[in-house]
Amino acid sequence: MPEKLYIDALREGLREEMLRDENVFILGEDVGLYGGAFGVTKGLFQEFGEDRVKDTPISEAAIAGAAVGAALCGMRPVAEIMFFDFFTIAMDQLVNQGAKNRYMFGGKAKVPMVIRGPMGCGTGAAAQHSQSFPAVFAHFPGLKVVMPSTPYDVKGLIKASIRDDNPVVFAEHKLLYRVKGEVPDEEYIVPLGKADVKRKGKDITVVAGSIMVIRALEAAKQLEKEGIDVEVVDPRTLKPLDMDTIINSVKKTGRVVIVEDDPISFGWGAEVAAGIASSSAFDYLDAPIKRLAGLDIPIPYNPNLEKHAVPQVEDIIKGIKDTLR
Amino acid sequence: MATIVTMPKLGTTMEEGTIIKWLKKEGEPIQKGEPYVEIQTDKVNLEDEAPESGIMRKILVSEGAVVPVGKEIAIIAGADEVLPEIGEEKTKEAERQASQIKSGEETKEQPKEMEAFEGRVKASPAAKRVARENDVDLSKVTPSGPDGRITEKDVMEFIKSHKIKATPVAMKIAVEQGISLETIQKAPGERITKQDLVPKESEKTFPAAETQKVIPVTGMRKIIAERMTKSKGTAPHIYLTLEVDMTKVIELREKLLPAIQARYSCKLSYNDILIKASAVAIKQNPIVNSSFLGDEIIIKQDINIGLAVALDDGLIVPVVRCADKKGIGEISKETTQLIEKARSGKLMPDEYQGGTFTITNLGMYDIENFKAIINQPESAILAVGKIMKKPVVIGDQIVIRPMMNLTLSCDHRVIDGAQGARFLQTLKQILEEPLEMLM
Repeated sequence: MPEKLYIDALREGLREEMLRDENVFILGEDVGLYGGAFGVTKGLFQEFGEDRVKDTPISEAAIAGAAVGAALCGMRPVAEIMFFDFFTIAMDQLVNQGAKNRYMFGGKAKVPMVIRGPMGCGTGAAAQHSQSFPAVFAHFPGLKVVMPSTPYDVKGLIKASIRDDNPVVFAEHKLLYRVKGEVPDEEYIVPLGKADVKRKGKDITVVAGSIMVIRALEAAKQLEKEGIDVEVVDPRTLKPLDMDTIINSVKKTGRVVIVEDDPISFGWGAEVAAGIASSSAFDYLDAPIKRLAGLDIPIPYNPNLEKHAVPQVEDIIKGIKDTLR
Repeated sequence: MATIVTMPKLGTTMEEGTIIKWLKKEGEPIQKGEPYVEIQTDKVNLEDEAPESGIMRKILVSEGAVVPVGKEIAIIAGADEVLPEIGEEKTKEAERQASQIKSGEETKEQPKEMEAFEGRVKASPAAKRVARENDVDLSKVTPSGPDGRITEKDVMEFIKSHKIKATPVAMKIAVEQGISLETIQKAPGERITKQDLVPKESEKTFPAAETQKVIPVTGMRKIIAERMTKSKGTAPHIYLTLEVDMTKVIELREKLLPAIQARYSCKLSYNDILIKASAVAIKQNPIVNSSFLGDEIIIKQDINIGLAVALDDGLIVPVVRCADKKGIGEISKETTQLIEKARSGKLMPDEYQGGTFTITNLGMYDIENFKAIINQPESAILAVGKIMKKPVVIGDQIVIRPMMNLTLSCDHRVIDGAQGARFLQTLKQILEEPLEMLM
């Protein structure tokens, strides 16, 4: 199977959907000729033209509002927000319009749109360009939230998100763009709401999302040498959340560490922890549920401080060992 | 100012006391010096007096509870006074604050140590499930997890090590006869066989008698049990018996009875005479008045004679101090008072401690002869039997005489047979010529 970069797999997914369905179009800041701030849409403007890859003014509210309107009119827009941090500006259109319209029209109108962007720290982009908060959107009924961790998943999930009839928040981590992985050339879809066991193990379950999947897998690899067999579960979509896969894994291992990139307070890890504790997995827990997540601080600019603001591989190793004590 | 009342120390050896009865209820006014609680020590029941006046605001321990000396039992305070926090919470809170101040940590950064909740076993949900499924009592499982948590592995190991192995025949017999295989003692890993279940003819057990009443072993019963076991276990007892002709003691008692009655208003008993006689005999044989302390033997100066007094639910030994220096009348008066106090549970610790020799008399129950257990740290005890008229040979004549058996139990680590015998012989001579002891 050929190996591809996450960013390239994502672009492949977009391109395939644009080829498949002429209602699919891209809009955002500098997505056209420039190919997007991170290069996700590179080449698509040349291939599909300015009607289907549209540059917009610098207004996330306008981008989101235009996407919601276009979706209501039968199009399938994919809106890019340059930094996930700016989703806050798109919030009103997304939350108060996009998330509500289908419900308020009694199902007669649909909002098939994707709004995507890069999140996360690790690039020295400081507090306003480094945040991860996909969990915020999981709080609103009517929105779906996806955060793919691998090239394979990002392609399969962008295709599923475009085909979904509801607004989908699609959170990519900046540091994942350059991650390589196997991606088949053949057409495939990764369904929303289906978690993936990224690594099978019997001693402990690590539930990790987005960039943390990569770090958890690295931690597992190192711990294997010490005879610790880690299972890594990637929920892939926060909403809908596939608790069954997580519960089954915890029932098997009896111990769980949840690793998030988001700030810890009220994060999705708390939702997962509560889901485990109130499920049939409760009787199988052999240690308290552990959460590792971002500190409750704005992401620092200083690279050393920035590194310590979110879990790193060594933190995950320590968290696993603590839980296995 | 609220007064926190603690379990008082009502004797030098008292370490804990039982709350028998609260004489004041919560909310009742109380005067300084007024009895407010009845406390049982290992020997006696005593009323404790209020240290302050006020309202009995809070009773911290219920009746029947055993409380160590110095532990808070009640709070006396003004009617509207805010009560101080008491007990473990208080100390824990103080400790927590202290440690916080010391380490300068924020409240959030408290020690992770979880509090132990009484009666709750700390086990993971998985451990609890496995225990439930296998009918394992978690309190018997040794925890290996952090902060003493029982994990699933601990329960599995417990089950493995406690799994009962038995042959199929043994299992069948066990089921048929309703025998619990857990009660069969076997080396770990060894199988229970038919032989283990079919008792030998001599070992066949019969259904146990039905229980009428359960008496908890506490207080005095516990002390008696402990001390008697200890004495028999540590002191090698030797027993020496002889018979005493009590003719002259009886005569003496009859003569002294009215005089002592008149002067001390008490009834002279044979025990009083025996106390005096023993004290005199001890003076001539001081080794009997001793304690064995392992490296050394202490011979006591004072001759303090204890007299065993039977109670409804036990036994206590009040002590007549310096009996050798006291007159028979004085001894009689003292024993009368001590026995009365003993029977009403009012004996003070100083009245039953410090004995150097004990006399126990079961003559009133028609016992002719018996052997007593030494009341440690003493080294000897005299068991007194009934005075009985018996045919005895005096010269070449058979005559009828009131005879009495004396049995001395000696701690052989201190007193050899001959030494004990000499003491007993001296005592016999004194009793047979009682006027001697007046000299």
